[in-house]
Amino acid sequence: MTEAPSREREYRRLSPLTPLVRSFIFLVAVVGSSWQSLLHGEGVGPLVWVLLALGLAGACYGAASWVRTKYWIEADELRVDTGVIGRQSRRIRIDRLQGIDIVQPFVARLFGLAELRMDAAGSGREGSLSFLRLSEAQQLKELLLARRDAARAREDGGAPVAPTPAEAPERLLTRIGPGLLAGAVALSSETLVSVLSAAVLVAVAMWFDSLAAAGGLFPVILGAGLVAFRRFSGAYGFTVTEGPAGLQVRRGLFDLDTQTIALPRLQGVTITEPLLWRRLGWARLDVSLAGTAHDDHGRGPAASTVLPVADRRLALWLAAHLLGRPLPPDEILRRPPSRARWVAPIGQHFMAVGADDAVIVSRDGWLTRRTHLVPHARVQSLRLRQGPVQRLLGLADLHVDSPPGPVRVRARHRDAAEARGLLEVERQVARAARLRTSCQALDRL
Amino acid sequence: MSELFAPPGNRWQPVSPALARMRRTLLVGAGVLLAIAGVALILAFGLPSWALAAFLVVLLAAAGAGWVVIGRNAGYWGYAERDEDLYIKHGALFRRLVAVPYGRMQYVDVTAGPLEQAYGIATVHLHTASPHTSARIPGLRRDEAARLRDRLTSLGEAQAAGL
Repeated sequence: MTEAPSREREYRRLSPLTPLVRSFIFLVAVVGSSWQSLLHGEGVGPLVWVLLALGLAGACYGAASWVRTKYWIEADELRVDTGVIGRQSRRIRIDRLQGIDIVQPFVARLFGLAELRMDAAGSGREGSLSFLRLSEAQQLKELLLARRDAARAREDGGAPVAPTPAEAPERLLTRIGPGLLAGAVALSSETLVSVLSAAVLVAVAMWFDSLAAAGGLFPVILGAGLVAFRRFSGAYGFTVTEGPAGLQVRRGLFDLDTQTIALPRLQGVTITEPLLWRRLGWARLDVSLAGTAHDDHGRGPAASTVLPVADRRLALWLAAHLLGRPLPPDEILRRPPSRARWVAPIGQHFMAVGADDAVIVSRDGWLTRRTHLVPHARVQSLRLRQGPVQRLLGLADLHVDSPPGPVRVRARHRDAAEARGLLEVERQVARAARLRTSCQALDRL
Repeated sequence: MSELFAPPGNRWQPVSPALARMRRTLLVGAGVLLAIAGVALILAFGLPSWALAAFLVVLLAAAGAGWVVIGRNAGYWGYAERDEDLYIKHGALFRRLVAVPYGRMQYVDVTAGPLEQAYGIATVHLHTASPHTSARIPGLRRDEAARLRDRLTSLGEAQAAGL
């Protein structure tokens, strides 16, 4: 998979269609604002001239920017030169790359282009290349991943560990049909809450005999519908495959998104079961990964979603697969003492916490039940909290801190002595697990 | 209750009494400013003298309460350096305890604002990969803060674990 050195010096450019894709919205605006007057032969207003002038300037800038943007690979670095007036040169260290995602915004997709996004250790986005032809983006991604593995193997002590074959077969784990997805969005807790509150409002309006008040409901319904549709379109065609680099997630109706979930970065998993899904045996699976922004742009499912909806058994199986061990049985979960009802009258019945030899688990939520699992080796810090009312009742909360993400193990309203005991036990178990993991990493060298 | 926040070893290391002194100085300063503004307003509107007296009494009572709360709160800060973790506890009404393994520390901050510098104290802040880790110790004597930072950094390097 290594290329001849002579080819390395060669730089490559982005797709020449890049300026067009970037200004597509602008072009649509120009045409949209002026087609009527053009059709009527009225000539064009001053606004259109301004827009055209701006467009021309933009086109020149876009073309210049395209000419000046080059990328190439040199000595374990991906280098990107940009800048029309001032020159900028970016060096991205290939061995520090964590994940490489291919994203296709809708307009880019129309032209068969894609954006390559690179995550680096620690910080958020290290850089992106937009736009490349889709096949080119995929090739570059494979090349970068292969280079990274080779560089890391060299660092780790010489012997080139069998580099992960770039063309290893990808195993299809699951593909979520549009019917299931639509059902899941329709039956989510958010939909339930908005339908119920709309019903209450309509009932009140009818009681007071003024349906006009219900008219105010329309924008609310529209907004809820839009949110639901975005969730649907963001997760449309959700496909999970397993390859050498980890789990691959593909999704999107308009914008196509590809993400790689590297298992060594896994910090924990969350299984979410809204009230109505529980009857149907559905569940959702999210993960926390080290070194990713929690939610990229807030559209569609967050970057951490592995299954937006699936049969509960499949979600549990995949969670176990990601954690690399069978999930602990529900029997290990223990409820808080009954006096916790004075602080959490309803929630108290749904809270539980437990641990086995590899993970610590907590569960809470009635409307939306969430089960969080964190391997002992991934625990960051442990916190106890006690408010004045909890002190009167002799209760306390234990929080297990994880890197940013959906996973948050919390043991709420436990007996105070038990909470402190949990902290001390978890502290030691986590330390032992951490040491074991480090030793295994050393053994592998 | 006492068991929940019992020290992990022999005892909690208290923070410097300068922390309470600094906060009380701030309290007195704010109180004096408030008193001047209030008295000026009362005189300007020509309110009766009992209003002036009531205002001053309320202000004095609030300042007194603040004085006591500050002292109590400073007394509840404590930390303990163990072989593998740093424990920190604080809060009189809402009590908190955090245990941070040295191996999980990413970096340590020492900060001292102008007022803190005047009182010769500093704040040590530990960061892990989790933003929820609220491991902060205010009101450490400056030499103690530097010692703690150096010790934490060296222990963190020795016990560092990957993510």
